[in-house]
Amino acid sequence: MGISNSIHVGPYEIFYPLKPSVSSVQQYGQHNLPGRLFVVEGIDGSGKSTQLSLLHKWLEARGYGVVFSEWNSSPLVKDTTKLGKKKKLLTPATFSLVHATDFADRTEHSILPFLKAGAIVLCDRYIYTAFARDAARGMDGDWVRDLYGFAVKPTAAFYFRVPLETAIGRLVGARDGFKYYEAGMDLGLTIDAEDSFRLFQGRIVEEYEKMIPEFGLTVIDATMPVEAQQAQVRQIVQSHLADARELRVKR
Amino acid sequence: MRQTYGKQLPGMRLTDLPGKLIVIEGTDGAGRSTQIDLLKPWLEELGHAVLDTGMTRSRLAGDGIRRAKEHNNLGRVTQSLFYATDFIDRLEKEIVPALRAGFIVLTDRYIYSLMARAIVRGMDPSWIRSIFSVALKPDAVFYLRIGIEQLLPRVVFSRGFDYLESGMDLFPGQDIYEGFCSYQATLLAEFDRLAEEYKFEIVDASADAPAVCDHLKKKILEIIDPIRAQAPQPKLPDPLIESLADKIVAKLTSGNKEAELRAANPFPLAPPTFRIPRFGGNGSAPV
Repeated sequence: MGISNSIHVGPYEIFYPLKPSVSSVQQYGQHNLPGRLFVVEGIDGSGKSTQLSLLHKWLEARGYGVVFSEWNSSPLVKDTTKLGKKKKLLTPATFSLVHATDFADRTEHSILPFLKAGAIVLCDRYIYTAFARDAARGMDGDWVRDLYGFAVKPTAAFYFRVPLETAIGRLVGARDGFKYYEAGMDLGLTIDAEDSFRLFQGRIVEEYEKMIPEFGLTVIDATMPVEAQQAQVRQIVQSHLADARELRVKR
Repeated sequence: MRQTYGKQLPGMRLTDLPGKLIVIEGTDGAGRSTQIDLLKPWLEELGHAVLDTGMTRSRLAGDGIRRAKEHNNLGRVTQSLFYATDFIDRLEKEIVPALRAGFIVLTDRYIYSLMARAIVRGMDPSWIRSIFSVALKPDAVFYLRIGIEQLLPRVVFSRGFDYLESGMDLFPGQDIYEGFCSYQATLLAEFDRLAEEYKFEIVDASADAPAVCDHLKKKILEIIDPIRAQAPQPKLPDPLIESLADKIVAKLTSGNKEAELRAANPFPLAPPTFRIPRFGGNGSAPV
């Protein structure tokens, strides 16, 4: 848009709107917002949510302003995702886009403003979930990476690595079993939900493994005791907060 | 074989898509839907199956977008992606199946409007281009172009100012009239740029609707039926030529020869007949 930000169209002088802050965040470039962004990744049953919630409590107890944002939780987009899943309308492409839309809304309303305000933002799943799942559904890896080009780079991203059978063992009987899309049933790999889950999540694990060097994910051995994992996570988070005392909420 | 703008979606076969994809683009109020309402019955009359589609008509995301717009709470990135979701759902579930079945798809706006809107909202042009690189290249893009001076009365005196069409999410400090002018002029500039890049067929939309439609029909015929469009126009006898021909025939049948004939045979069984060659409606040889 050149040096000047105004153009003339007939009698009108037009000012291009300033670029929104999300685009000025270079793709995967280090953000220099005052807040901190920590994200957890891993397959279902890896125990990442448990770890994040323990981290959340610890940070709050130490007086930090903490905000939590969960995958697939935007109030504006939720109904569309729900409709797509319930009526099985989603293809790999629309599955990808509807989740990107959800993530965009959370970036614009729940993540970016809080990072600007100096909060610690915790995300249960982040763009790496989309990269892994969409690739497992056959989407082009570069296309999906471009799609999430507006995302803020996390301060640290933890990947909870767990053998597939351990994860399945934790899920069987727990919660509500294997869900249609989470088990990749839309791909028609097999009609049995558990088998499909095993095949699909196996692909996702492969994708995660490839992303460890690509994005510098911090690997946590999720077969260790909960306490040991949490101690590691806290130590790493602590190292990023050394010069961030101003983030504490004065009480 | 059809082409996309770069990337291909999983499961989207690009062969065996015999239909035609015709895009009607243009800014708000350029008369796109009026033209589609005129073109659809005309094409059906000619025997073509037609699918018409447009923004926010997807089963997946249409209602979601409408609900989100009510709250005027859509971020710029979110808005771009919500519309992309709607577009891709229609591409996969409506447009491609219709092309496969040999339909003519008339689409009210395509990726270009979505790109223009996103770019004027400050989105990175390469980002939005990458997302829509999976879209099919259409057979034609008709860009109904109208200047802001002609656009204003059409919009203001018919349906009034719309929040998003006035770019109020972009220029919140202005009143809605100023917002409308600024936003539409910015969009227009972006459309003109896209028109050049994507080689739109520019149609002057300031003319009245029937004139614009006649022009569009001619151009569409060139796409859907090139043989007919290239053949010499079938000449229907016009009244003047017909009356001249009648006079010539009368002259030939009267005159000296007739007198001689009558002398030789005063009671002819039937008067001599002449036929004016007429050309069939399909431009074939005289019958």
